[in-house]
Amino acid sequence: MSIMEYNGGSVIAMVGKDCVAIASDLRLGNQALSISSNFQKVFPVTDRIYVGLPGLGTDVTTLRERFRYRINMYTIKEEREIEPETFAHLVSSTLYEHRFGPYFIEPVIAGLSKTPSGGVKPLIAAADLIGCLNFAKDFVVAGTASTKLLGVAEGLWEPDLEPEDLFETISQTLLNSVDRDAFSGWGAVVHVITKDSIISRTLKGRMD
Amino acid sequence: MARRYDSRTTIFSPEGRLYQIEYAMEAISHAGTVLGVLAKDGVVLAAEKKVTGKLLDLSGEGGYGGSGEKIFLLNSNVIGGVAGLTSDANSLVNYARTAAQQHLLSYNEDIPVELLAQRLCDMKQGYTQYGGLRPFGVSLLYAGYDPHYQFQLYHSDPSGNYSGWKATCIGANNGTAQSLLKQEYKDDILVKDAIALVLKVMSKTMDSTTLGSEKLEFAVLTLDESTKQPKAKIYKPSEIDALLRAEGLAKTDGDTEMKSA
Amino acid sequence: METSFALTGKGYVIVAADTTAARSIVKMKVDEDKIKEISPHLLMAYSGEPGDTVQFAEFVERNIRLYQIRNLYPLRPSAAASWIRRSLADSLRSRSPYSVNLLVGGYDTATHEPKLYWIDYLGTQVDVPFGAHGYGSYFALSLLDRYHDPEASLEEGLATLKRCVDEVAKRLVVSPGRYKVKVVDKDGVREVEI
Repeated sequence: MSIMEYNGGSVIAMVGKDCVAIASDLRLGNQALSISSNFQKVFPVTDRIYVGLPGLGTDVTTLRERFRYRINMYTIKEEREIEPETFAHLVSSTLYEHRFGPYFIEPVIAGLSKTPSGGVKPLIAAADLIGCLNFAKDFVVAGTASTKLLGVAEGLWEPDLEPEDLFETISQTLLNSVDRDAFSGWGAVVHVITKDSIISRTLKGRMD
Repeated sequence: MARRYDSRTTIFSPEGRLYQIEYAMEAISHAGTVLGVLAKDGVVLAAEKKVTGKLLDLSGEGGYGGSGEKIFLLNSNVIGGVAGLTSDANSLVNYARTAAQQHLLSYNEDIPVELLAQRLCDMKQGYTQYGGLRPFGVSLLYAGYDPHYQFQLYHSDPSGNYSGWKATCIGANNGTAQSLLKQEYKDDILVKDAIALVLKVMSKTMDSTTLGSEKLEFAVLTLDESTKQPKAKIYKPSEIDALLRAEGLAKTDGDTEMKSA
Repeated sequence: METSFALTGKGYVIVAADTTAARSIVKMKVDEDKIKEISPHLLMAYSGEPGDTVQFAEFVERNIRLYQIRNLYPLRPSAAASWIRRSLADSLRSRSPYSVNLLVGGYDTATHEPKLYWIDYLGTQVDVPFGAHGYGSYFALSLLDRYHDPEASLEEGLATLKRCVDEVAKRLVVSPGRYKVKVVDKDGVREVEI
């Protein structure tokens, strides 16, 4: 039994054309026994950044609360919102602080950063449980269904998807991947971040 | 010998007084006025800026918390107004923000307003007792909301005392302002009328003859219509001028006389 | 073996826990109350490592009481549950962690809603309509999936609880004999018989 698989759960993020998407399942279990079908593991950081925290349930909550503390203090002191790159390094350093007694979480970050010309640039990143960052150009996956997610995303993802198409791609990728994973599932939540809005939808999957 | 009981904060005088605390309070009564009014559906805060001048760089538009000298966002549900030593105040504001976030971390809820006031007062009180330290030369007004007591307005002074108010004022001319508020305040006042009351009292207590964004800071705490969560709004300079125009208190060209609200 | 259940209904939460205190294969006591009334509108059922349970429950009880004395109002259920969770999460990475599983049920007097939190010894917390700990959970959760109704009256809620208790008595090899059942609603907490 691995600690990373104790509660189950998976997260995926994808890049689109001037948009990004992040999605997760909603299961929380105790090994094979499902406890909840409404356990959120993706959280808003700012109006343009979301973070997904798949892994050990207790650390999902602890890290979420710690990041909220750091982000609130950053925002109120700097009088501006944090940029995705900066946040990614905050996540990384927070995890590495616990290098020899880690939080059992593999975070996924999705956000839009501002460009000097006034536009936006998609950014996604994933980290391992001690904070090694991986910035990707296409998609990142984490959690108990990560192997399946990787395969399905490889087949479905294509460059420069518009928000609605990106939503469809990430939703289908997640829903079909978690069906092959006993530790993920029980519905999903998807967020698509665009320049001027966020589309958040809760999906039903195979509720069994 | 007269200075015997002055020099140290922690020593009582023979009459049982702590002179340093009284001096701190005296310093505050010369500071820019800060005024708060509690309404049924919100709280209004206004402050007089003392540091002004042609050469002062005011280009910062003010972001998340407003580019305040005297009004600060302490937490998403509390706005603070400070009177006294600005440097001491900055340190207290930072302490308040940290305390509020600590509460959020422990309890997953916004800090109750009175508890935040208590946190700061515990610290201020400490400086009246531990040796070799100077008390904070700051009074604060806390305008906040929590689900326990809804909208609230508190005042705290350098001794670490705090109290709740319907309407109050700290800083220069606070006596005049308070007697004005006593006359004009009505229970069940609404934010709309509270804004008018605050501006009216401010215009009468401030040294300058005209009200304008270069001398005034302004903030309102209400509940968001849709989410029912507290919504703190610290006005930007342009918004203050717009508000003053709407209230008929803005300065007019060539005419420095004010119309009453 | 130790078992506890809890479920929400229309304006109330029912919390039930078995009353056996066992050591190894021996039942030492059959009338142990494992549900603490930690504030006027808050109940906490605890189970786990003997010794840790009572120690941790009393630690929680006293801290929640202290907050109430200092502030003249009690913590809301969500705030209390978050604080308890943090205590367990901190304890998990300490030299001697508590092994205690909890069901925290309360009535939020500010929003007039019943609230139930499932918390385990790791500090995993989740807001649930119904929950269970111990071996009984393997039987009870599927029954509650089928019969739980968030709009049910207290009588209906107690009937659903009875189904869970009966099923555990019927199917679990080492089933507990008796249960203590407590209810929390707008009027506070009280014990009921099933």
